[in-house]
Amino acid sequence: MADRTASVTWTGSLTDGAGRIDSVGSGAFGPLEVTWASRTEDSDGLTSPEELIAAAHASCYSMALSGALAKAGSPPEKLETSATVTFVPGTGITKSAIRVRATVPGIDEAAFLEAAEGAVEGCPVSKALAALPEITLDATLT
Amino acid sequence: MPRITRESEIVWEGSIARGAGVVTGVSSGAFALPTTIASRVGDPEGKTSPEELLAAAHACCYVTSLGGELARAGTPPERLEVRCALTIDEVEGIGHRVVQSVITARGLVPGGDAAGFAQAASAADDGCTMSALIRASATVIVEATLEEGEI
Repeated sequence: MADRTASVTWTGSLTDGAGRIDSVGSGAFGPLEVTWASRTEDSDGLTSPEELIAAAHASCYSMALSGALAKAGSPPEKLETSATVTFVPGTGITKSAIRVRATVPGIDEAAFLEAAEGAVEGCPVSKALAALPEITLDATLT
Repeated sequence: MPRITRESEIVWEGSIARGAGVVTGVSSGAFALPTTIASRVGDPEGKTSPEELLAAAHACCYVTSLGGELARAGTPPERLEVRCALTIDEVEGIGHRVVQSVITARGLVPGGDAAGFAQAASAADDGCTMSALIRASATVIVEATLEEGEI
């Protein structure tokens, strides 16, 4: 069992105020500023819950795929993964689109695609976001 | 309503056990963070993990929802502090999964009372898109306290 923590402070109103991710348990990042405008308009260099979810999903997926490829006897040399998360104000988060480009010595296309699709299901962040209307995958072997 | 997209990327090199990744906020450029499997399941040793990023997202999402609810009730907050502790555990037959997210909220709200704050905290949980997503497969607990004076 592992616990992971994060602390945020918000000052002022939702639209005119600002928030700050003060710290996280690992100490790896913070402070990071966030505002309602950075969430719903141009990010303007500031992060947002959706970008953090995208980071969580992309990193979780990479670990799941790397593990699955190693188990299949073809450990990857390099995985480049992005996740794009869509937020509709008033509705919520509607989609996470994963895109992966993988360098995997000695694997054929079919085996790679099977591992890539399996990793979507296998990643704990996908399971935590299972209520999302849409999770898509675009996987390429380079 | 407009659709808003936010993108992050990770580049992973080497094996899962001994390799490492760097996760970057592409939309904002606000962060570039190393992560490893060891930092994810064991001692973080200063490195982030998918679960820590989810905890940050949940805290961030909840705080904006709570601020909105308090403003709607006519008592906009002066300051809110929200902490999220997310737990991942191995569940038999399923593997590792997020089992719980605990939100602890403290607020300094001019003209607000404890009952109104508790009501806003509960409505904020209902309105927070991350709470709804996590709750579909795990427990979400919200503990909210109205502070007197400075926090």
